[in-house]
Amino acid sequence: MTRALLLCLLNIAVALFLAPLFEGILRKLRAALHSRTGPPVTQPYWDLLKLLGKEDLRSAVGLLYGSLPPLTLGSLLLLAALTPMGGPAPFAFAGDMIVVLYVAAISTVLIVLCGYASGSPYAFVGSSREMMMALSVEPVVAIALCVGAFKAKSLALGAMMTFQLWNGPSISMAIAGLAFFLALQAQTGKAPFDIAEADQEIMGGPFIEQSGPRLALLRWAVWTKQLVLTFLLVEVFLPWPRFGNLPLDLLASAVKVLAMLLLVALAEVLNPRVRIDQAMGYFMRVGLSSLSALVFAVIGK
Amino acid sequence: MTTQIEQVHADIQELVAARSNGALLSATRPHSDTLHFVVAKNAIRSVANALFNQLHARYLIAIGTDKRPATGDFSVMHAFSLDREHLYILLESPVAEDDPRIDSITPVAPGADWAEREFQDLIGVHPEGHPDPRRLLLPDDWPEGLHPLRRDFPYNFRPPAVNNARPEMREAPKGASIIPLGPFFPVLEEPAYWRLFVEGETIVGCDTRLFYNHRGIEKLGDSVLTYSEIPYLAERICGICGFIHSTAYCQALEKATGIEVPRRARYIRTIMLELERIHSHLLWLGIAGHIVGFEVVLMQAWRIREPVMWLCEKIAGNRKTYGMNTVGGLRRDLPNELLPELFKTLATVEREAVAVRNAVVGDSVLRARTEGVGVLTGECVRNVCAVGPPARASGVAIDARIDHPYAAYDEFPPRIVVEEAGDTWARLVVRMGELVESIRLVREALSALPEGPICAEIKQEIPPDKVGVSLVEAPRGEAVHFVLTGGDNRPYRWRVRAPTYANLQALPAAVLHGTIADVPITLGSLDPCFSCTERLETVDPRTHAIRVYSNAELREMARAKGGVK
Repeated sequence: MTRALLLCLLNIAVALFLAPLFEGILRKLRAALHSRTGPPVTQPYWDLLKLLGKEDLRSAVGLLYGSLPPLTLGSLLLLAALTPMGGPAPFAFAGDMIVVLYVAAISTVLIVLCGYASGSPYAFVGSSREMMMALSVEPVVAIALCVGAFKAKSLALGAMMTFQLWNGPSISMAIAGLAFFLALQAQTGKAPFDIAEADQEIMGGPFIEQSGPRLALLRWAVWTKQLVLTFLLVEVFLPWPRFGNLPLDLLASAVKVLAMLLLVALAEVLNPRVRIDQAMGYFMRVGLSSLSALVFAVIGK
Repeated sequence: MTTQIEQVHADIQELVAARSNGALLSATRPHSDTLHFVVAKNAIRSVANALFNQLHARYLIAIGTDKRPATGDFSVMHAFSLDREHLYILLESPVAEDDPRIDSITPVAPGADWAEREFQDLIGVHPEGHPDPRRLLLPDDWPEGLHPLRRDFPYNFRPPAVNNARPEMREAPKGASIIPLGPFFPVLEEPAYWRLFVEGETIVGCDTRLFYNHRGIEKLGDSVLTYSEIPYLAERICGICGFIHSTAYCQALEKATGIEVPRRARYIRTIMLELERIHSHLLWLGIAGHIVGFEVVLMQAWRIREPVMWLCEKIAGNRKTYGMNTVGGLRRDLPNELLPELFKTLATVEREAVAVRNAVVGDSVLRARTEGVGVLTGECVRNVCAVGPPARASGVAIDARIDHPYAAYDEFPPRIVVEEAGDTWARLVVRMGELVESIRLVREALSALPEGPICAEIKQEIPPDKVGVSLVEAPRGEAVHFVLTGGDNRPYRWRVRAPTYANLQALPAAVLHGTIADVPITLGSLDPCFSCTERLETVDPRTHAIRVYSNAELREMARAKGGVK
């Protein structure tokens, strides 16, 4: 139990404090591709500090509106505790992939509620877009994890990871991993799927009426989400190499996560934002194609 | 050839005489390419109908003038262009002071919509039968019955401000909700208010309120400035295509008074005009990329644009607002010893522009995002009289450089790029084609630059009561300038129509049945040109001290020698 608690603290600390750093590195990459210098990699930390120290201006009254940002960040820290990061998932005893999917979905719903609670027409449009995106992207994630569960004959993430680690790559897991990776682009709200925020169309969507500390928490939540989901991807689908030493494994995973996120950022820079109907059609095709992974899993490939 | 043209003129005159039912008061030809008809006001709609729907003349603009000091009447003039015949037709009617009403021609020529609302605001002649006679450009708190372009209205008079004045806007149709776009919005460089009526994400209609930055430039032109001062003000109409406006004004006046501009000046004007098109299209490409969240296009297009600005600075001493134009030619020559350097930079620009054109035109996601978005049909373009790339992207092959050649375009006719689809993608393809074509024009004009004087000598006073119309093809479409000369060394009336004025009227049709996501890029694809520069902020990199300069301080600094202290 103590070990689980310590691991939990470790995961949460990694999620909270590594997320801004990775965001900073992504900004550098984006800047390089734009022929810009870009801000220093530590800029996201300063952004958070600045926002946390600002006045809390509210566009709506009510407990819900004020409490949603901390809840959103909290839901993602819970997700971090359920996700293996280098070591086993600290709260693995409390939940398997079904719970992980639920908790990931909760964070999306909380952001959607943020938009609806703020009373701005742009936030309304943004929130309904966010919901539509979630409905088309999360089935893809679910299918990908189901493939892992089917192979490992277990719903536990740890079991999937161990199975993948010992049995080596397979066609079904490669397809499922690819589908998960494509969904990651949308789950992290990156172009071409930054439709819910779409600054130039609806000025940030659900975030338009957020400011100061609440905006800081939401930003932090978004960065944490991209980090934790990417950890989930590399741990389940790309667990190699594994040293059996927690700091080393954590470092290896973090490097893989960064590599994945750099790919996501590359795709972000090289694509314009698509329309919601185009995005939904795209993920329907991704979802349908990823079903082939299940077929491969059934025939043992 | 000459007899053919004479025949066309005679035919048009016959048509106007026939359709005005004996109310044709005069028919003159102030310039070889301009016909001027004065008809009684009760005949204006039927003559306009014949010109627009029978001759298929394109509507340019209305010019409302307060001629009471001279003739006792107001005057309303509609300007048309017969592109293939290279002709302008001016259709004028006097309007008596005690009955300031005239038949609206918008029901027969929809392109006259804003133009008629504008003269209603500015000189107070009411267009009867106008489908939407709301206020167009005066501020919301401006008192009724006060018309600033009347001669007895002092240019510096300010009516008292009223709080909480609101524009008169249409309500949403039943079942639709309102999404406001503006007055301040991330992709708008100028305040402008679009009220979108949406069902879900689908646009079912819209209403607009613009002209928040109306600056009263025309009023200054006929009450404060002199002929030779106006080019500097005209250049400041736009922050991007200023040279186009100063050229158009100068050409209108040169035409009105028969001044022959030397050949070298016409060449240099052509070079500067095309350089403006190049940097404007690159600027547009960047903004369009930004609007669809394609930031790398923004950053790269603007990086490529920098050498073009450098070219302008080398030639004119300024990146923008060159102050080169003057009536009769130029104030500043292009030094021949600069040529090798200019050619070298131009080659770099060309290489990079072609690369970016190929990358953008080959981008399948960008294409999927913009194809079929914001479609303007050719019919719609002809009706609302949209101009420039939006017109050419809808299969309407109009280009002032071909239709009404000016500067040196008779010697360097551009190959114009025409697309048929009329969507945002087509407008992008047209602009990318023009970008490369403009580089060719600049290079050829630079290679063939003739020697000689750069400004005509103007020996006598400019005579009053002469009219001149000039179209200049700006990057966004043609700019129209009209000059009616006056007595005290300034125009009696100077009328400016920027291309965006025509193109924005096509926006409601372009966004209808699209989605909210398509509105910014559709608006962006018309390349709306907004300009407003009123203050400047500087940051000292060492002390991080921020200093905001007021308008007055900037003026002082601009006048002081040595620049910023």
